[in-house]
Amino acid sequence: MPAPTLVQDPTAKDRRPRLPRRTRAGAVRHPDAGLARAVRRNLTAHGFLIGAVLCFAFFSWYPIVREFLLAFQKTDNGHVSWVGWDNFVTVWNDPAFGQAWRNTLWFTVLALVLGFAVPFLTALVINEFRHGQGYLRLLVYLPVMLPPTASVLLFKYLYDPGYGMFNEVLAVFGLPAQQWLQDPDTAMLSVVVASTWMNMGGATLIYLAALQGVPGELYEAAELDGAGLLRKVWHVTIPQTRLVLLLMLLMQVIATMQVFIEPFLLTGGAGPEGSTTTVVYLIYQYAFNFNNYGAAAALGLLLLVLLAGFSAVYTRLSRSADD
Amino acid sequence: MSTRTLISPAQLARPRGRLLYWLAFAVVVALFTLAFLGPLYWMVSGGLKTTQEAVQTPPTWVPGSVHPENYRRAWEVMDLARLLLNTLYYAFGALAFQLVLDVAAAYSLSRLRPVLGKAVLGMMLVTLMIPATVLVVPQYLTVLDMPIIQRNLLNSPWVIWLPSVTNAFAIFLLKRFFDSIPRELLDAASMDGAGPLRVLWSVVLPISRPILGVVSIFAVVGVWKDFLWPMLVLPDPTGQTLAVGIYSLATSVPENVLIASLTIASLPTLVLFLVFQRNIMSGLTAGGLKG
Amino acid sequence: MRKARLRRTRRAGAVTLASALTLTALAACGTSSSKDDDNGSGNSANADPAAPLDPKTKVTITIDCMPPAAKAAELKEWNEDVEEFNKTYPNVTVQGRSTPGQCLEPPRFTAMLKAKSQPDVFYTYFTDLAQVLDNDGAQDISAYVNDRTVPLLKDIDPDVLGSLKQDGKLYGLPTSNYRMGLLINRKLFTQAGLDPDTPPATWDDVRAAADKIAALGGGVAGFGEYSAANTGGWHFTAQMYSLGGDVVDTSGKKAAFNDAIGEQVARNLHAMRWEDDSMGRTQLLKWGDLQKQIATDKLGMFLAAPDDVTYMVQQLGAEYENFGMGPIPGGKNTLAGGNNYMIKKGISPDKVKAAVAWLNFKFTTVGKGHYDWRRAKADGLPVGLPQPNLWLNDSKAEDDAARKRYATMPVENFKAFMDNPVPGKAEPPKAQEIYKVLDNVMSGLLTNKDADIDKLLSTAESQVNQVLATQ
Repeated sequence: MPAPTLVQDPTAKDRRPRLPRRTRAGAVRHPDAGLARAVRRNLTAHGFLIGAVLCFAFFSWYPIVREFLLAFQKTDNGHVSWVGWDNFVTVWNDPAFGQAWRNTLWFTVLALVLGFAVPFLTALVINEFRHGQGYLRLLVYLPVMLPPTASVLLFKYLYDPGYGMFNEVLAVFGLPAQQWLQDPDTAMLSVVVASTWMNMGGATLIYLAALQGVPGELYEAAELDGAGLLRKVWHVTIPQTRLVLLLMLLMQVIATMQVFIEPFLLTGGAGPEGSTTTVVYLIYQYAFNFNNYGAAAALGLLLLVLLAGFSAVYTRLSRSADD
Repeated sequence: MSTRTLISPAQLARPRGRLLYWLAFAVVVALFTLAFLGPLYWMVSGGLKTTQEAVQTPPTWVPGSVHPENYRRAWEVMDLARLLLNTLYYAFGALAFQLVLDVAAAYSLSRLRPVLGKAVLGMMLVTLMIPATVLVVPQYLTVLDMPIIQRNLLNSPWVIWLPSVTNAFAIFLLKRFFDSIPRELLDAASMDGAGPLRVLWSVVLPISRPILGVVSIFAVVGVWKDFLWPMLVLPDPTGQTLAVGIYSLATSVPENVLIASLTIASLPTLVLFLVFQRNIMSGLTAGGLKG
Repeated sequence: MRKARLRRTRRAGAVTLASALTLTALAACGTSSSKDDDNGSGNSANADPAAPLDPKTKVTITIDCMPPAAKAAELKEWNEDVEEFNKTYPNVTVQGRSTPGQCLEPPRFTAMLKAKSQPDVFYTYFTDLAQVLDNDGAQDISAYVNDRTVPLLKDIDPDVLGSLKQDGKLYGLPTSNYRMGLLINRKLFTQAGLDPDTPPATWDDVRAAADKIAALGGGVAGFGEYSAANTGGWHFTAQMYSLGGDVVDTSGKKAAFNDAIGEQVARNLHAMRWEDDSMGRTQLLKWGDLQKQIATDKLGMFLAAPDDVTYMVQQLGAEYENFGMGPIPGGKNTLAGGNNYMIKKGISPDKVKAAVAWLNFKFTTVGKGHYDWRRAKADGLPVGLPQPNLWLNDSKAEDDAARKRYATMPVENFKAFMDNPVPGKAEPPKAQEIYKVLDNVMSGLLTNKDADIDKLLSTAESQVNQVLATQ
């Protein structure tokens, strides 16, 4: 599935001046020949385009339109009827609605603290070493290559309060055993830790690339001003990588709010007392457990509006990154 | 390393600085090794334990007795060979479709510039703004009964291959790359009487190798890692992907066999990664990265 | 010049053609049409649905839930049965599809029905009829099933057949049934100083026994419960039934578990989990997890159907001597359920007849197929479990005698269950949706020490009411 990226703005204007197409060898042509050629050129061009366009039409554009329609429809044994805002009312009145948004928000906050800060700090640290950078990079990126189901089920095993590795590690350090996924208070945190482990490799590599671009003279200048380590990070590193950081932050938010597999496999989706029910899981539940596509679409639209907002900001920012 | 980083070389050159550097280095290497290889060790060793030992409280760090036959059992019981082949089939099929259709589209948009091309590109890029998980429900309903052709795509490989073509990001990357190819190069080729297909094949594609590599990695990894979509659209257990198959079988095998199967499932990409790590990591950072 | 242009045009044409081909190919192959169904070959010489299948008929039927390779003994028996069946009906091809995991998982089942991709003969739970009919997925086979096609029809428990009927029409044939009881690990009972021959009969006894078993230490839990993947709600329902309660009222429109009985169930579970700490630390379990625990002697008891033992012996390597069973504690009612095969709507009459003939041979004939206990013993499968048992009258007597004769496990381990039958009670309407909601009650009780029981129940009540209201 496509994901937002760090590269320049997709909608940036093609800046190359558009010259009128040259006829071959500048030969003088009859106007009719020009028209015929234009038609032929377009035919060729559309021929190249048609396959992708059809795929988009069937699997992307039509479903987008359908999402909007579904939200205002109800399907009863194959009979479709228009129900206005009923689906939104249903979704709104569901006791799980508020909880799911709170959980998603909480998940996003945690994912920012962990999923955003940890890779940055990791990159910062790795970048300082003159040895073993390759090894450390390899380690951090290793989990990205595992099939997510394998990583998630592995974490489920590691988290087990009885025979899991994590409580055993805590025991080695004399710390009290935890309930991890089994406790409404720590379940979400545990999910985020697993998710961060699985996904931080990509972000770390991007930050590393960004850090290599920070001019060394700036650090020297800061040192002349007597800046310590933290101040150098705060006044040089962060401003210099500000844009990458911001973009990654937004990307993280957009990706996090769509998380599905981690809670689905670690806690069965709903989690202890519903504490890991996210908006996306609720959509899944409406559609595939309760057969209520209308409610699923209505909730999906709400999420869409929110995320489209983030995406718009992201696009603006990445456009300025381009300039 | 020639680039200057946070900590000044002067500081590092001092004996105390050097000591601290090595101390920090040792701690970080130990910590990272534990954090990233620890779980993997637990996985490999867990697969070697007996069923009893795998669920023993407290757990053991080293298997009391070694049972490699768990791996064979996992392979047979969970039919991992079939799941792996399925996944490869879907992944490389998706790759082929993306390479043919997306490259053709990007080339057309970049070089042939048909009427309405701009509008088409715009509509493609808009889809980047729509979160994939929101679209899952209407997409699912669409493949159940495809408009116009009136077919149900569930359980057929098309249901993975064709939606993978709607990768606006890949088209965008390709188009940007094609845009940057010097015009003279292409004009020279057409001058020799080469048609667009020939120009694409013998001029554009050879110089586009790096970007094709990036797009290919995304395509394969995308299918390899996807979970929700294949879970919904490939309900037939014999046609499932590895990611989904392991999930649906997880409860029906003893814990040690399950853990062994996770190890087996992780091996193919892990090995590929270790062999091609340089290309993969540089490719991914160069192409911008998705999570 | 002209040639070059021509070539260009041809190229363009080729690209267009290639795209068009792609789509045609897509439309033509590898996919199932959502419109038509393939019909069985061979014209039925006998158009009367009530007549048994003409042995000369050439027809192929597909059927799911064939045992997977992992269940080697059951697969071998399946193949033997097909061979035997083909002696009578040499031209019927039975094409089995196997599922390595659970034959039926609700989300996958839903997708299958929506896609109409079910095989000719498809596996269902007792609770699935409404959903199948909503999707227009099953054939009315009333006319095909009679004492000529299914000779023992009169001896099949009418409660079981009832779950396959709507408005007097029959939509499938049963393959197994269960009444939930209390499955115990005899080894742990003995170790804890409890009598494995008298499993606890009330929930207070369960609590006391669980406490003793958990005291053995080493991660052993006394009593276990599910709280995920709809199975938590399923067992909450079973516990409600055991105390004479209900989850949906008689009108079928309102939730009925937010009452004194519901609170009793909830408080008991919460007390066992948190006051006694006798339910283990790992929760959010679903079907399969408790079986794994009890098979590795980490769990003393849980609510289960007797045929879970077969599963544990075959897939998890447990030994059947180690298990015993008592009636459900409380003993007012017990949740009764089971599995059937239904027949896909729209397949040819000959296929329907072939399907009925095969199902009859395999699952509803005493002494044959599934009920060939002598063979089951020779193949090392557990024999002597009280269920599945569809039978009444003479068939019951005959089948019970055969079970006893070829028993491979101590039948007396199930004596308490056999001697104290509890009235069966069917699952609620919209069972899977309601179970999904009740999962949350279970997970709340079992994972949150400070769970607000009243709030858990009232929240679930309003959600279930909503589920029941959307029809």
